[in-house]
Amino acid sequence: MSDPRDNVQQEFLAEAQELVEALSRDLLLLDEAHQRAERPDASLINEIFRSVHTLKGIAGMFGYKHVGAIAHALEDLLDDLRLGRIDIGDPLLDVLFDSVERFQRLLSLEDPQSPEETPEVDAYVAIVQSIGNQPASDDGDPLHRYAIGSAVLSVLTEYEEHRLRACIREGMQLYRLRATFDLTAIDDSIEALRDVVRDDAEIITYLPSLEGGNDESIELVVLLASRVPESELKAHFEGQYGAVEAIEEQTHLPTIPPHLTSIPPGAQSLLPQPEEESGQASLRSVANSVRVDIRKLDDLMNVVGELALVRTAVGRAISGLDGDPRYKHSLRELDRLGRGFERQLAELRTRILDVRMVPLGQVFSKFARIVRQAAREHDKQVRLVVTGATTEVDKLIVEELADPLMHLVRNAIDHGIESVETRMRLAKPSEGTLALNAYHKGRNVVIEVEDDGGGMHAQKLRETAVSRGLLTAEASYDLTRQEMLNLVFLPGFSTNESVTDLSGRGVGMDVVKTNILRMGGVVSIASEQGIGTKITVTLPITLAIIRALIVKVGGRLFALPISAVREAVPFSQQDVRTIQGRKVITMRGETLPVCDLTPWFGLRAVEHQASRFVIVCEMGNRELGFVVDDLMGQEDVITKSLGQSLSSVRGFAGAADLGNQRLALVLDTPALFSEYFSSSDALPSMEARA
Amino acid sequence: MTAGAQRATLVPDPGSQDAAIPILAVAAGAETYGFPLSAVREILMPPPLTEVPRAAKHFLGVIAVRGEIVTLVDLSELLRLEERDRQPLGRVILVDVGEELIGVAVDRVVQVAQLQSDQIEYASAMSADLSEYVVGVARIPSPSLGNGEEMVILIDPGALLGGLT
Repeated sequence: MSDPRDNVQQEFLAEAQELVEALSRDLLLLDEAHQRAERPDASLINEIFRSVHTLKGIAGMFGYKHVGAIAHALEDLLDDLRLGRIDIGDPLLDVLFDSVERFQRLLSLEDPQSPEETPEVDAYVAIVQSIGNQPASDDGDPLHRYAIGSAVLSVLTEYEEHRLRACIREGMQLYRLRATFDLTAIDDSIEALRDVVRDDAEIITYLPSLEGGNDESIELVVLLASRVPESELKAHFEGQYGAVEAIEEQTHLPTIPPHLTSIPPGAQSLLPQPEEESGQASLRSVANSVRVDIRKLDDLMNVVGELALVRTAVGRAISGLDGDPRYKHSLRELDRLGRGFERQLAELRTRILDVRMVPLGQVFSKFARIVRQAAREHDKQVRLVVTGATTEVDKLIVEELADPLMHLVRNAIDHGIESVETRMRLAKPSEGTLALNAYHKGRNVVIEVEDDGGGMHAQKLRETAVSRGLLTAEASYDLTRQEMLNLVFLPGFSTNESVTDLSGRGVGMDVVKTNILRMGGVVSIASEQGIGTKITVTLPITLAIIRALIVKVGGRLFALPISAVREAVPFSQQDVRTIQGRKVITMRGETLPVCDLTPWFGLRAVEHQASRFVIVCEMGNRELGFVVDDLMGQEDVITKSLGQSLSSVRGFAGAADLGNQRLALVLDTPALFSEYFSSSDALPSMEARA
Repeated sequence: MTAGAQRATLVPDPGSQDAAIPILAVAAGAETYGFPLSAVREILMPPPLTEVPRAAKHFLGVIAVRGEIVTLVDLSELLRLEERDRQPLGRVILVDVGEELIGVAVDRVVQVAQLQSDQIEYASAMSADLSEYVVGVARIPSPSLGNGEEMVILIDPGALLGGLT
């Protein structure tokens, strides 16, 4: 029932948001390079320029006039930067970083044209323009010293000319590479060449030569700049591409061979027009991807499920013919086809799941700005190091991860990394390092938030927990160091007395842990005092599929996400004792609260139940045993949420299809835990067992 | 699945006086109820039912329909018809109430009937104090009663099933 205009608006906002995130990510890289006093990568500046350029374009189309105005001013500024008319510096970076926030705020406005914003936007645009007017230092034009030829120079764009100058200034050697390309795949081949060249050299431009080509192929002369010695470059390209020849620095100018300058009429349209180079690249990236509503993928997945049902029905119909000698031959053929069909169906399912995958970089990029900003506010120096940003996880997980990770990152800067003075005193580098690492491990994705700060003081955590009344002093003496660290996951735990700007807003690590658990993940802490802290989050790659323990309660099947389950042990009614109205059992000398799911769910107990089981679940340092009638084994299940009409029923995260239209309700372990422990006063002695 | 669904209505378009309104008549207990056909997505043989513990009594549970989880509601229970033992499920009609599809368990499907607007006696014109989900009543020819007629209570599915908890 959605208004198509609304849809278009949403599309714009989604795309704009992505562009701003990309901008934020690239700016951080630019900042990093600048802080290391390196020359920024030309392709990076181009990337930033393209983001802003595209943003300007779409903002104009959708009437986001303020966004458009800022993007326009930035575009000019970035153009100056990439053409070397201005130098990169802190004021410039500040202005650029500032733009990210402005864009985000302006995009969230109800009225994209709001006149109230005009004065501020105008003021910002004026600042951007004032920076653009400070010219860069220029140390003379070195181009004439090379045998490139005025005819070639005359067809270079301003940008190519700038790069050529910059490369020469940096002491790079110029080369000419002759390479033959297949006409039909020329775009791809040139892209591939760019990739090959990237580490060793920079492609300034390429022009077609008249020699060496035929109907299917064309020879290009590629102008390269490189630091790599000639012999190495030759070894790399000769054979695969063609001859490499160095362009010597000269005192006199020889005339340029005609083949370098003339462009055969047929070839011209195949080559990107040099002036439009940046525009072409962005168009290509747009053409290669589509934006899809995640619900459409869910629908596709449902169709796959239906196909599987149809396949089963067909199989049943076929088996009805079994034993009839007349069909013997056809049956074998049908059986073979059926198996092939199943294989393709499984493939289809995998492919759809694959489409849902997005790189974690999407969420990491948000942190770039936050780290910079938070470090500034706290007068700390923090370097963000991201590895594995291309690690892919399900789109839903990426969305759900943003908040918990944000909290961990803020915690690391606020509580972890020390002030510059402290670090100097401890002989640590003045700049703290915050690392975000992501990698795949089996069926899981692991995300680490690691800092080289002060680490956690286990004894202090223990004392705090006792003083907050989260556990008794007696119980606290039995804790191992790891158990003490895990105390931070207890609800109501916060080590910092003061509520700071960054973290400690009442939502603490317990919320982080609950959110991660909800996604079927686990979170763990490793910390060495004085060395640093590492929080490790392990998540399933896709939310759609979770591993579950199927249990029977009151004759019905339920699925328990395996991530919350610690163990399952036989249950005997005789072992149950009651402490303050709570049923508990003793396990390995420890007291474990248990609750029988049959009465809790209001189900009738199945009589003559021979052997029942306790499923020991763990959450936020609390343990609870669910008593069930039977264990039915583990299964990978797809959890689907219950409809709006059942949203008020607590304790179930959704339902999972076990095949043949049989469903099992998936238990919402975090909700069951909080319901159990909040139903009356919790017993402190039982909470702190880790 | 529910995107783009038209709000089902039993109130005829004022511009077209003669337009017939198709309804699906279903039996629940001793009474016959009419749902606007435009709101009914599908009629199903009852699939395997999964009960949802702790849900209100009118929720029979959830069923799987083409990969979607659909809440199944007992029409007799919802309308508080006379107490009776739980019946084996007759038919399930899938009703679009905008935000979700709801499965409604009925004893049986009676027929599809075309109602002319002058056949409908609107609740607003009746003195009886009726529930807000009753749009009105209509008499339709009943094949099972020979030449007799039966009374159909016309339901506004949005009012009956929307916002259920």
